[in-house]
Amino acid sequence: MLHYLVLPVILSLLAYGFWISPNFKEIASGVAIFLFGMLFLEEGFKKFSGGVLEIVLQKSTDKLYKSLFFGVIATTIMQSSSLVSVLTISFLGAGLIGLAQGIGIIFGANLGTTTGAWLVAGFGLKVDIAAYAMPMLVFGIVLIFQKSRNLNGVGYILAGLGFLFLGIHYMKEGFEAFKATIDLASLSVAGVKGLLIFTAIGIFATVVMQSSHATLVLIITALAAGQISYENALALAIGANVGTTITAIIGSMSSNIEGKRLAAAHLIFNAVTGLIAILLIHQIMFSVDYLSSVLGIAEDDYTLKLAVFHTLFNTIGILVMLPFIDNLVKFLERAIGVKEDGEEKTIDTVKYLNDSVLEFPTTLMSAIYKETRHLYENAFEIIANGLNLKSRRIVSSADLDEVIKDVYSNTPVDMDDLYNRKIKGIYGDIIDYATKAQGKFPAEKIDEIYAIKLANRDIVEALKDTKHLQKNIIKYAKSKNSYIRDEYNKIRKNLAEVLRNINIIATTDEEDVMMLLLSKAKIHAKQNDVLTNGTLDELIRSRLITNEMATSLMNDSTYAYNISKNLVAMAEAIFIPKTSDIKNIDNHMIINEEDIKTMMEEKAKIEKEVQKQEKTEKKKEES
Amino acid sequence: MKFTNFIQSAKEYLRLHDFEKSSKKKSIKSLLKKLRTKRKEIKKSIKEIEKDEHLQELQEELDIVCMQIKKGKELLKELQDA
Repeated sequence: MLHYLVLPVILSLLAYGFWISPNFKEIASGVAIFLFGMLFLEEGFKKFSGGVLEIVLQKSTDKLYKSLFFGVIATTIMQSSSLVSVLTISFLGAGLIGLAQGIGIIFGANLGTTTGAWLVAGFGLKVDIAAYAMPMLVFGIVLIFQKSRNLNGVGYILAGLGFLFLGIHYMKEGFEAFKATIDLASLSVAGVKGLLIFTAIGIFATVVMQSSHATLVLIITALAAGQISYENALALAIGANVGTTITAIIGSMSSNIEGKRLAAAHLIFNAVTGLIAILLIHQIMFSVDYLSSVLGIAEDDYTLKLAVFHTLFNTIGILVMLPFIDNLVKFLERAIGVKEDGEEKTIDTVKYLNDSVLEFPTTLMSAIYKETRHLYENAFEIIANGLNLKSRRIVSSADLDEVIKDVYSNTPVDMDDLYNRKIKGIYGDIIDYATKAQGKFPAEKIDEIYAIKLANRDIVEALKDTKHLQKNIIKYAKSKNSYIRDEYNKIRKNLAEVLRNINIIATTDEEDVMMLLLSKAKIHAKQNDVLTNGTLDELIRSRLITNEMATSLMNDSTYAYNISKNLVAMAEAIFIPKTSDIKNIDNHMIINEEDIKTMMEEKAKIEKEVQKQEKTEKKKEES
Repeated sequence: MKFTNFIQSAKEYLRLHDFEKSSKKKSIKSLLKKLRTKRKEIKKSIKEIEKDEHLQELQEELDIVCMQIKKGKELLKELQDA
């Protein structure tokens, strides 16, 4: 009951806020535009999934030191750690990078942002990227309307960045009133109390102004004017470092669970770094004095000493946190899990089917197709998680061996619950509407409706088979027997390949690619079956696995085969456009069971001949 | 003349029964063209490849594409003979 009231209450509060304060209206619209920009950015990066950007990102973030370096460079160029963290959240949201890589970039961004202090303190420079917002929006929108996937992606990214900057601009404008009221001199206090107060002011000022850069300018100005003491300025810098995480937190609101985890990692890192700096303030100040004398910075040049401090305490933070990255990832996966995510608990319903589409047969057919794709999207997520894989990693171009190492969760997902919430209702409605549709179409269309019904059944069957598989996947993932562990990982890898190929088929418009991948998936399903390829016999004969393991593997291999078979059949029916040449010849050019048999027989024949030849050569050599 | 018969005669007169066949032929030819380009690309990649692992993958893709071309040719022949 309560959740029905939440939305009207929020809307009413917002409306009241807009009425009484134009500043609040500006801030709220800034947040809205910022979030809209985030959505655009994610959409843009998704277009590059499997493309050049992904390869570049993967190559430049595949090792921890590389992702750190990437963060430092990107932030130095963009002069905004907030923007780099928001972009990193988008990369994560689009599945271009993993959480550990994202954390590496964030750590690097914290170090990169210190170059800002050097620029401001040393040269008084500041790169105002917000000035590019309008041209970015215009170029972005023009490119969005282009047919080319790459141009379209660039358009979304440009427009996303434009909206992002515009959002930040409005937020800043709205907070101008607050800024004018900040008089640091009146708050100047000495000792620990002053340290804590100014850290809190630093946090507040950065949250308000949405920029640690702006806070730093404020600090340096106040310090240069003698409004605050050097110690107070250091505390403000610590606070600014913590406060800057707010942008990433806002950015993660429209992102998926991985984005939320990254924003939390950002907050944890900056908070821990800030805590260390507060606890060791005297030691750090001593080090700053020493380093400054080495660098030839005058003793009373506090602005440059502030830049040294900023760099030093962020470096200390990175050095302290680096050994704990894996623990941090594990902690975040536990703390911000699927169960805690409220939106994951909702019941999904049909998106495209309603009584009005029943009146128009063509619309109805199109709605049933779209709804089946919607059902598959949900099923894809559940199957991936059931196999203990991350769906975003599957659709990336990451090496599949790496994808299977990156497990989704250490505890099994509740597949029955997910089925009830994400599949059952939609499946029931599709079948209901498809049955109603049968009465409205001529006889030749009935076959098409029947094929859609079968495709839906295939999706559900694949889900049920995954549920059977899931138990042993979890069980044998921790087995001490490396042979059975490897076999189950092979099953996961093969199914990840099927899911990845179906995703490519669903998104490409190149018919030769569709045909090749569908045929490949069919062949692999057959080849990977441990019963037919002789793996099981070999494992049993060599006594490498127990009888219980053999029975499990035999059953689960059959489940895996059926999952592949059902998903490929579904993809053939749903993801090949009706207007394509492939459909026009009723999929006859895609390889079928008989062709696979012929191909496998030919392959076996060649292998036999090669073996025979090798034997003869060996005999000859021996004689 | 019944309505269905009229439609039938109109279809025959306009040679519309051939329309489906010629559309299928056109589709096969278009697919064959794309597959031949693909085959060429794969063969080129095989010549340039260094890693054995990718070679096996490309070889498999080449086998599949060749099989699809063979099927396409057979289908086309069937349609032409019919």
